Amino acid sequence: MSELRIIEKKPISSGTVMLFGFPDVGLVGVIAATHLIDELGLEEVAYADSRLLPPVTVVHEGLPHSSLRIFGNDKVLLAVSEIPLAAELVYPAMDALIEWGKSKKVRMMVALSGIPMQDRADATELKVFATVSSPELLKTVEKEGVEALLEGYIVGPQAIMLMRGAQSGLPAIALLAQCFLNYPDPEAAGEVLKGLAKVTDVKVDTVKLLEKGEEIRLKARDVMRRTQDEMSKMKKGQEYDIPVYVT
Amino acid sequence: MAIKERKRTFFDLVDRYFEGMEQEFDRWRETFLERPSWNSKLCAMEPLKDVRVTPTEVVVTADLPLTEKSTLQVKPVDEDTLEISAKMKRKMSFKELGMTHYKGEIQKFHCHTRIPVPVDMSKMKVGFKKGLVEIHIPRKRRK
Repeated sequence: MSELRIIEKKPISSGTVMLFGFPDVGLVGVIAATHLIDELGLEEVAYADSRLLPPVTVVHEGLPHSSLRIFGNDKVLLAVSEIPLAAELVYPAMDALIEWGKSKKVRMMVALSGIPMQDRADATELKVFATVSSPELLKTVEKEGVEALLEGYIVGPQAIMLMRGAQSGLPAIALLAQCFLNYPDPEAAGEVLKGLAKVTDVKVDTVKLLEKGEEIRLKARDVMRRTQDEMSKMKKGQEYDIPVYVT
Repeated sequence: MAIKERKRTFFDLVDRYFEGMEQEFDRWRETFLERPSWNSKLCAMEPLKDVRVTPTEVVVTADLPLTEKSTLQVKPVDEDTLEISAKMKRKMSFKELGMTHYKGEIQKFHCHTRIPVPVDMSKMKVGFKKGLVEIHIPRKRRK
């Protein structure tokens, strides 16, 4: 039996784009995912079950839900976690989600996340970088006006997604918006969604997201606090390191 | 069969020291995380904050969304502790924050932050931008 099972609640369309939004730097992925769910009216179509997950259930409208769920419609599948993935859960969770996605014939995987920026408070413009799973995709993202991250380290679920995409030939893109490391960053989430609109046909308006920015920062404090803890265990700071490329 | 105790090297001692430090830090971190970040009696919330030590100064930042600069107060409590507080533009009920099983509301941010190295609090500079307070405090030079 797989370490993590995906249990389907509704019929799943094939040929969709599979997105990932997990708690990470600036909570960019989770904030962007929540906005996508609201704007596209995505429904919960599946959820993850595993003894590896912490004993936590998310209560919504009086009913229990898994902390790791998949929302979707006929164009998009969106895997989202409301609590940070523990370092030891990243491999089993991503492997199970990617294998399940392949069984549903997803045509592309995109992770929504951030990349910490020094002096973020002074920034007037936030860049979005892309790391991809194949040389062809590198050309595609650059053609669409998204700057490629050419050298460096990627840490976390998106790292596994990129590796599995490269190994299997399933196109995978990690979109990383410049953001605060330790503070929720709705502005960066808005930028990552603009990047998503460039490389896929998933387009949403980000006006409401920016209007509610301060309220989102307030509500996301506790998730950010716990995410900081997991990021430190995962050695997330390695993304700041100067890489040594071994040829 | 008798088991011979391996002679401990300097590196074993260093490893043991750092393991002990790590365990202590884990205990401290768990204590910090497993208490609410708000106080319903004081109607206050503890902001997310960060302390960065550079060779010349200590930079403290705190995220204070929904607050006005005019209500921000940053003052030293003693030589190594800083108190930060700010009133929110509007009160937020626990219901609005997504917690229907608590009553009350949050009206302000409040926290104490310990500064880990000697600093000159009298030369502290405070900036406030996009709901984020940034405090620069020069480090004291060793005599």
